[in-house]
Amino acid sequence: MQLRLLQGVLEAVRAGIIVVDAEQRIVIWNQWMEQHSQLPAADIQGKTFGEVFPDMVDGRTHIAIRAALENNFASLLSQTLNKAPFPLYANAVDAISGTRMQQAVHVMPLEIDGLARHCVVQITDVSLAVSRERKLRELASELESQTLVDGLTGIANRRRFDLHLDDEFRRAKRNASPLSLIMIDVDYFKDYNDNYGHQRGDQCLVQIAATLGSVLNRSRDLVARYGGEEFTVILPDTNEDGAMQIAETMRAEIEGLQIEHGYSGVGKVVTVSLGVSTLVPEHLSKTGALIHAADRALYQAKRSGRNCVVMYTDARKKAE
Amino acid sequence: MFQLTELQHDALVEIFNLGVGRAAAAMSRIVGEEVTMSVPMITFQSRAEVAKTLGSNEGRRISAVAQHFDGAFSTEAFLMFPEDKSLEIVRLMVGQTMTVEELSEMEQEAMSEIGNIILNSCMGAFANAAGKELRGSLPTYLAGTGDVILGVSGKEWDGVVLTLKIDFNIERHHIYGYVAFLLDMPALQDLQRQIDDYLAKLMG
Repeated sequence: MQLRLLQGVLEAVRAGIIVVDAEQRIVIWNQWMEQHSQLPAADIQGKTFGEVFPDMVDGRTHIAIRAALENNFASLLSQTLNKAPFPLYANAVDAISGTRMQQAVHVMPLEIDGLARHCVVQITDVSLAVSRERKLRELASELESQTLVDGLTGIANRRRFDLHLDDEFRRAKRNASPLSLIMIDVDYFKDYNDNYGHQRGDQCLVQIAATLGSVLNRSRDLVARYGGEEFTVILPDTNEDGAMQIAETMRAEIEGLQIEHGYSGVGKVVTVSLGVSTLVPEHLSKTGALIHAADRALYQAKRSGRNCVVMYTDARKKAE
Repeated sequence: MFQLTELQHDALVEIFNLGVGRAAAAMSRIVGEEVTMSVPMITFQSRAEVAKTLGSNEGRRISAVAQHFDGAFSTEAFLMFPEDKSLEIVRLMVGQTMTVEELSEMEQEAMSEIGNIILNSCMGAFANAAGKELRGSLPTYLAGTGDVILGVSGKEWDGVVLTLKIDFNIERHHIYGYVAFLLDMPALQDLQRQIDDYLAKLMG
């Protein structure tokens, strides 16, 4: 009576149940397994795990089965780290297209008095949870794409920078006023990260961001994290001299932080290189020109030994 | 506090290094990249001391994977990382970036698997060395401060915690974590006896 009831449960349960004996022969293969593998129990019973699943020999599941049979250990195989280990399909359509069901697998040793050790492999369909998480991830990245603040430093992010530069560029064009841009790069930051670790590296960036921000005091000035260890500053209504002054103050302030950097090629503390460009935008000017010029100046600052400020000068102008 | 002799200590460090070495190999196969792990040191401390090391006093949250083992000796085993580090490990292993500041359901399961691999490997290495058998449960994921997590097995408890510091390297990231075993007095005596048996076998 009890046994027939248990058999009924085994057939009714909405999970795959495989029982493997000490010789790795499959002795139980429930209805759920028949349904989703499209292999009838009669064809499976008595065969070894390796015979039924030759592709899985010495894989994670097989190792987990051995750990259960030989060491008495239970194992969990998560869907995230093991992409659909068993050839199981949600329905006939998926089976034809070869789209496997998302699975979580539990392997547990079975100790029953008077029997050699067996183990039970339980397979659950986690497709729903997987698609729910995919949705969540999409929402999170969508939300992230709309944010204007850099997650680490709390200053403006690249998106905010792009929007603000567009605004100020248009305004400068209308008023025929100068607009300046500073591109800032932390010197030998990769060596800092490699030697002090990412956590210290992050702290360093947070401190630099705060210091750069403290130099600015007009409401339309903006400091943003441009990427990795690159920062950028937008200075509306600011000519070359004004921009150079602010850039030099920033350089000195960062050096003045005295953040130890034993692996820098320029000194014993963390320093920055700065490239400055100024433009009075004309009718056809594009923001790209201003960014490109500041980038070129930053490159020059790097080549001139770092920890310095370089103003962009047009090569054609120089030749005159 | 409980002390092992230098020889017993070294034997245990060697056994656990063998264990985490196997775990690292298993994890490398999963991610298709080199993962290395080593146990630079082991200590015996009270539960309160371990919780303090884990920053309980400052309210620092940790992620833990717990498993029960019994047989040759009986213990609650934990793999513990600061919560942000567990995010880092799982996301490095999974190769996805999520901005959410806590482990999602699926990530918790992945973390459980990582814990399962490491704890089974450590205990497997020990069981092998001792020539004894240990029965291991499925892993459970826990999050909270260290004292809450370690307090799970009851308040009235005067055993010691065997803690392994684990030095974990994945994709050029260094991450420290801890494996802790709660051992009550009988378990501690069993453990010590098994190390002695192991040493006796080694010495022939």
